[in-house]
Formats: sequence, C-alpha cells, structure tokens
Amino acid sequence: MILHIARKDFLTNLLSPRFVIGFILCLVLIPFSILVSLDNYRGRAAQYRIDHDAAEKAVREVRVYSALRPEVVIPPEQLSVFSKGISGQMGNRVKVQLGNVPMLASGKTAAGDNPFLASFLSVDFVDVAAIIFSLLALIFSYDAFTREKEDGTLKLQMSNSLSRSASLAGKVLGVLFTLLPILAFSFLLSAVLILLSRNFAISAVEWGRIVLLFAASLLYLAVFVFIGLLVSARSRSSVTSLVTCLFSWVFFVFLVPNVSANFAESFVRVQSRDNLDRVLADLDRELEETIHSAWKAQGLSEGYSCWWCSINSDGYVETYGNDREGFEAFRRKSEISEPIRIRYADRRWALQQSYLDSLTRQARAAETLSLLSPSGVFRTIASSVCTTDLQSHKARMDRVRRYRETFIRFLEAKDVFGSFSWVTPAPPESFRTEDQLVELRTGGEFKTARELSQWASKQANPMVYWRKLSEVKVQGDGPQDFPYLDISDMPRFPDQPLRLFAGLSSSILNIGVLLVEAVILFYLAFIGFIRFDVR
Amino acid sequence: MTMLKTVFRREVLNNLYSLRFLLSLALLIGVFVAGTVSFLNSQAAALADDRQSRAAELEVMKSQAARNATELAVKRHTYVLQPRASAFITDAKEKYLPNAIVFSAWNVFSFQNRSGSANPFLNKSDEPNWAFIAAVIASFVALLFTFDAVSGEKETKTLALALANPVSRGTLLFGKYLSAVVSVMAVLLAGVLVSFLMLLLLGPAANPSALAAETAGFLVVAGLLTATFCALGLFSSVVAPNSNVSLLLALTFWLAFVVIIPNSAVFVAKNFYPIESSEAVQRKVDQAFEDLNRNAPPGSWTMNSGNPFLPQHELRAALQMKRMQAEKEIRDAYFVEMFHQFESARLATALSPVSLFEYMTEAVAAGGYIRFRKGWNDMHVFQSQFLNVFKALDAADSDSPHWYNPNEDVSTTRKPVAFEKIPQFVEMPMSFGERALPVLKYLMMAVFYSCAVFLVTYVLFVRYDVR
Repeated sequence: MILHIARKDFLTNLLSPRFVIGFILCLVLIPFSILVSLDNYRGRAAQYRIDHDAAEKAVREVRVYSALRPEVVIPPEQLSVFSKGISGQMGNRVKVQLGNVPMLASGKTAAGDNPFLASFLSVDFVDVAAIIFSLLALIFSYDAFTREKEDGTLKLQMSNSLSRSASLAGKVLGVLFTLLPILAFSFLLSAVLILLSRNFAISAVEWGRIVLLFAASLLYLAVFVFIGLLVSARSRSSVTSLVTCLFSWVFFVFLVPNVSANFAESFVRVQSRDNLDRVLADLDRELEETIHSAWKAQGLSEGYSCWWCSINSDGYVETYGNDREGFEAFRRKSEISEPIRIRYADRRWALQQSYLDSLTRQARAAETLSLLSPSGVFRTIASSVCTTDLQSHKARMDRVRRYRETFIRFLEAKDVFGSFSWVTPAPPESFRTEDQLVELRTGGEFKTARELSQWASKQANPMVYWRKLSEVKVQGDGPQDFPYLDISDMPRFPDQPLRLFAGLSSSILNIGVLLVEAVILFYLAFIGFIRFDVR
Repeated sequence: MTMLKTVFRREVLNNLYSLRFLLSLALLIGVFVAGTVSFLNSQAAALADDRQSRAAELEVMKSQAARNATELAVKRHTYVLQPRASAFITDAKEKYLPNAIVFSAWNVFSFQNRSGSANPFLNKSDEPNWAFIAAVIASFVALLFTFDAVSGEKETKTLALALANPVSRGTLLFGKYLSAVVSVMAVLLAGVLVSFLMLLLLGPAANPSALAAETAGFLVVAGLLTATFCALGLFSSVVAPNSNVSLLLALTFWLAFVVIIPNSAVFVAKNFYPIESSEAVQRKVDQAFEDLNRNAPPGSWTMNSGNPFLPQHELRAALQMKRMQAEKEIRDAYFVEMFHQFESARLATALSPVSLFEYMTEAVAAGGYIRFRKGWNDMHVFQSQFLNVFKALDAADSDSPHWYNPNEDVSTTRKPVAFEKIPQFVEMPMSFGERALPVLKYLMMAVFYSCAVFLVTYVLFVRYDVR
C-alpha cells in the first residue's frame, strides 16, 4: 500500500511543471558551476606548474648550503571543483627557512594576478547544490498534505483502511523517489563533465569521495523534505505552507551561514595581525643583537670583509676569493648564528601559533554557529570530504612544518653550519693566504699584501689598489668557477596520497547532526500528520 | 486616478494582512538587528585596532624624521584605509579588496590587501549589512508579493471580476505594482529605522546629517531594486499559466540575479578580459633593470656611504632614479590593466539588478572600489606634495650634494627634521559628485531595467486572457 501511494505521488510529481522546471534548473546550474570550477582549477593548476618549476630551479641552482631554501608548492585540490572550501583563499607556496616556522602559505590565491578580483565571491557545485536541492525538496513537499486536503482526496484516501503512518511513509517515499533522479542526474552530469574535460583525471579514491558527497547530499535533501512535510502538516492551506517554506529556505540557506560567519568575526575576535608583525619585528631585532653579542664574545666583528660576498639578514651567506682567515671568519660566524636563529624561530612560532589559534577559534565558532542551518552543516561536510576545509589545510601546513624539521635535521646530520660548505663551495685545501692571493692577482708584481698597500698609499687615486688586484683573474674568485651543490640526498617534501576516509572524523559529528535533525523533523511531521485535520 | 487609488488601497491592505508581510517583517527586522549589533561590536574593536596600528606607524615615521629627513623620504610607508563609519550600509567587500597603499616621498609604489584584513580560515561571505539584506531578502520578498498578483487572482477568479469594473488594465497592473513596491519598502523601512535608531543611540559619535543623507540615498537605490524585482514578479505572474509556475519562474529569476550572475564575475574577468601575468610583468621589470645597468656608466654601483660627496653617489643616484621611473611605468600600466579588468567584470555582472544595486550602494556609502580609487589618486597628489617639502628641505641644507636618490639616504640632506613640518596623508570624505559620477551608468541601467521589465509586463498583461 505504501508503495502504491509512493508510486501515485511520484507519477503526479513527474508530470507536474515543477518537475520540469526543477530539472531544467539543475540542467543549467550544475554544469555551469562545474565548468566555472574546472576553469578555476585549471588556472590554479597552471600556476602550480609555473611555481613548481621555478621552485625546482631555484633549489637546484645553489652553490652553498646557506642558500638552500626549499620551497613547497602546494598543488590545487582536485575535488575543489566540487567544494572550494577555503582552498581558494590560501596561497600556494611555503618557503622552508631556518629562521621562520611557516605560518600561512604565500603566493597567489584563486584570485590570481588581480587582487581586486578577490572581492568577487563565487559559487561552486556544493553551493549550487545546497541552494537547489533544498529548494526542490521544499517545492515538492510543501503541499504534500495541504493540496490533497484542498482537492478533497485526502479524506477519500483516509476513508480506506489505511493507517496514517502508512500514508505518510508513502508520501515521503513518493517525494524522495521524485527527487532522487534529479539528484542522481546532477551528480552524473558533473561526473560526465569531469570525464570529458581535458587534463583532469581523478583517482579512484576521489571518485569514492564523490560518492560520499552524494550520500551527504541525499541526507541533506531528506532534511529539507521533512521540513516541507512538517510545515505542510502544520499549515491550514497550501499558500501558508508555501510562504512559510520559502521563508525558512531563505533563512536557512542564505541568512544563517552569512550571519554566523559575521557573528563569529564580530564576537570572537582574532588577535591583531599588525600587533603580531610588530612583536615579530622586535624579536628579529633581538635576534640580531643576540647574534652580534655572541660573535663579539668570540672576538668576531659585526661587519664583513670579503673579495666577493652576498649576505642576507635571513642567514644566507655566500662568499668567494677570500684568504684563509677570511673564510674562517665567515664559517665561525655562521656556526654561531644559525643555531641561535633556529632557536629564535621557535620563539617566533609560539607567537605565530597563538595568532593562528585565534584565527582557528573564529573559524570554528562560525562553523559551530552555522550548525543552526542544515545547509551550513552540509557545506562543512562537503568541504571536508573534498579536503578543502580548515582541517585539511592545517594538516597540510603541519606536514610542511614537519618537513622543515626534517630538513634541519638533514643539515645538522651533515654538520654544515660549522663547515665551509655553508658559506662557500671552495674546498678548504684550496684556500690561500692573503699574500699568496695578492701575488696571484697582481701577476707576481707584489709579493705580499703589505707591499701592495704601501704602494697604493703613495698613489693619488686610492681606487688603484682594487684595480691592481683585478688585473689577473684567479680561479675561485667568483661563483661562476664552481658547480652547483649536489643536493640529491636532500629530503623532499613527501606527497601524501589521499585515503578515502582520512580527515573525516569531524564530519561524523556533522553527519550525526544532520541525521538527528532528519529524525526529529520526521517525527514532528509524523505527529503533525497524525493530528492533521483532513476536513 | 481614483480607480488607481482604489486598486492601490485594496492591494496594500491585502498585502498588509497577509502572512508573507508578517513573516518578512519579522525576518527583516531580526536580520537588521543582528547585523547592527554585530556591526556595532566589530566597529568599536576595528577602530581601536586601527588607532593602535596608526600610532605605531606614526612612531616609526617620527623616529625616522628624528634621524634624518632623507630616511623618512626614502623608506616605504604603508597607508591603510581606515574603518569606515558607513560600513553598516555596505562593507563593499573592503576586507577582501586592496586596502593599503605603499608610498614614499618619491613614488606611490603599489597597493595590497593588508594581511589580517580578513580571516583566511573563514569562508568568504557577505556581511549582513543593509545592502545585503536588501539584495537578498527584500528582492525575495518583492517576488513573493507579486508572483501570484495576476496568476493567483486568475485562479481565484477575482481577476475577471476586477476587470468587469470600469478600470483599465494598465491602471490595475500599475496599482498592483505600486502597492507591492510600497509594501516591500515599508518592510525595509521598518528595518532600516530600527537599525538607524540603534546606530544613533549606541553607535560611535557619528555625524547625524551624513548618516541621514546616506540612509536616504540607500533607500532610493533600494527602492529601485525593489521596483525591478516587483516588475520581475509581475512579469512571472503574467507569463505563467498558473501561480505554481509563476512562483518557480520568479525563483529562477531570483537565483539567476542574486546567486549566479554576481558570483560569476571572476570567471568572466579571467576568460573575457584576461590580463598579463604578474610573472610576465616581473620579467619586464627585470629586463628594464638589466638594460639600465648595462648602459650605466662604470662605477655606478660602487658603494661607499662614508662621504656623501663621492662622485659615485651621483652616478648611483641617477641610476636608481631611472630604475624607479622604469619600474613605475611598467607597474602603473599593469595597475591600469587591473582596474580595467575589474571594471569590465563589473559591467558584465550589471546584467543583474542585484549587482547594479550593490555598486550603487557602494557609491552611497562611499566605500569599496570607488573609495580605493579616490584614495589611490589622492595619494599621488599627496606624494608630490611630500616630495616638494622634502626637496625644499634638501635645498635648504648646504651640507647636501642634492643628488636625488629614491632608494638610499646618502646624497641628500641628512639632518633631522621636525615631524610637524612633514605633511600627513589624510583620507578626504567623498563629495556627492565623486560618489555619483562613477556609478551614473549603473543608475541609468537600473532605471532602464525596471522600466523595461514593467513595460513588457504591461504589454503582456494587455493581451492577457483573464478567464
């Protein structure tokens, strides 16, 4: 009997104009959202390749270990085509440095080259699905009881030997049977579009995740069907029911997500970024002073004197053509400064972490508030299934941070901070004394440095000292005389293959919320229908 | 005329007693209150943060001025646009837009979105300010008030009855239209009023006349939006065979105009108005630098900061100046491309009356993109003043060789300067003309839009079969 009613409802719905219009809406909006997201994905993937190649080139072309700063380039998430989550707001590059634990990724976001475009919002498959499926669910269920009551068929039906629960079950099945093809069709259509698109192949695990997304959509759909049935059971006429349903639709789908994000922003404050930057700048100054006083304690001067050198405040030092003492001074300075730098990075990180924690608290608050709306819950589940949510981002950044530690351990194991290879590719056995260098560079004209400076002090133009020294090109005086460093043993940032259920633990709670909502709504609709006045 | 009055009265009363009116009133006032409470809370915190950052930035500049005038002139400063008092009307996505300008006395370098403006862990979303409420809820309510105005009356058979009276079809349709607009605006007005009072009583000391003027401007553009959506609702009502279909049609319009078109701007911008990649621009800059270096007289790069009068400083100053000019030319051209791409994308989304409305409220509240552009232009004016002051200081210093170098504090005056003598950039309020001119085309489009839709509806209604 239940199936009988379901079949009848299904057929009535199938022939109604709302089915046609609903179908057409999906037919237009779903491909639109997928194509726009695919386009966005391709742009990001192209950017990823550019950045990845640049990072590879940069890390290959170093001659000293102090210049080695591997850059992790994060590929765009393939499933962001379905739910972009926060992935589009994050940069795609993270530089691994000794003096800084990576906080947030830098590089281009989904807005690309034009920062103004970041002010345009965009919708993806899940946004469209959250809007359309809820609307269709309500449109098909708002008049489930009221219409039959108005037509007088409900009375007729109830005069048969048919329990109200069986009648309700039939109705629910009828509506779900109607919506299921639309839902399935939407997913199939997107699957076809993805299969047909060039340069976009997704793995079996990702297909599995799409199936999970389908299941979540089904649950989401059911929640709205039950809302519609509940409203219908509590309303006197179809018009009342319709208006109530539409208002709850706007409320749940459009208002709650926006208002909850805004309330979180307003009432769960994040720390001031300017303040963090100021404190970090103070810490950087302190680091510099600590390094300088440590050098002083060892009798090393603050300044550098070199034949050829390139120095940066982040610890990069590259030098050529010095005498033995010169190289030794560079080596000892780095040997002292780099462990201090790593120690300070941990102090910086404590501050950065508390800032990140405040950002996370705010985002979590917004997420919690959006639990008020099934569409908020659905979107949260979807972004987590598509690995574009905050948790996936944090997991990725944690992996980058662990990679930094691996990288530092690699350097420590090679003991490079205290070695000449940190500052110069020239082998120590090739180092010469100052006098030897002067003799070589002046082509034997001067035997010692003293001789040269005595001669130069008698000349009118003091620049001749340097000009004299540039007369003969000496092997090892510049970077061009040395090959790049062999970094084949450097640890690389490991790719982490996606597992089907990885990172979905928090979604279980959200799925639970949707389920509980569905059950409660169904129960209320059931009670409402039991007490429904069919006259 | 009397007939119009009668129709209008009947329709307004009809709307007033309906469930949708009550629900929309409750919903609108609820969201207005929530949005205003949230705004008041966040605005206070934002102002406090801003004061702190500004004071810190000023301290830095003061200490530079106390060391020497050239250091103050060549160091890059960042001006961050202040929290805007009218953000309750619309935030105009300012937290996502570039909101900081980098400048020195020599150049206005670039703009950026200040890190920390928006929490990157939060999904991007609209704030529940007045513009959002009007764009999403008022437009929706407008459609709800009108979708069954014709098809619904046809089903209840009252339409034929109404037309049996000596009333022209135009009058009847216009009466319905007017009453719907008035009903929606009444709901909106109630919400705006509540919010307005809360702002006056609880808000930071604002200028009440400016507040009133901006509120009035907002109501005008919101009226246009409402009028357009009421016309769209009537249109759906007239073309569809029954009220069920007209509802779906109206909802389809709403989805297209509120959700789809405004949200496809990035896609449109990237595909139809592509700009050069930033990597290509960087390569151009590098190329220009390389050319300049190659053609520079030998010794240009020799550094020795001990004596400002060393001849190599003059060579280097000239080279640095040329480099800055070359880079500025390339970057400024790229910025113009960005502005153009953004404006073109906006124009494309102007297909939707909701986007039109958003761009107009931005002008009403003097925020967002047009505010940034004014700040950007004003900064260029300010920078030339700053430079003139600096050049005058340098000219007065006999210990300076007067070799202008935009990047180093070597060969211009190295004496401290009283900080009060240095002009400070202040964001000027926007005049009516500055607000209205950039959006005049949008205003005309919005008026045309609502008139055109109503006219089409009228034509269809004249030929409508009321049976």
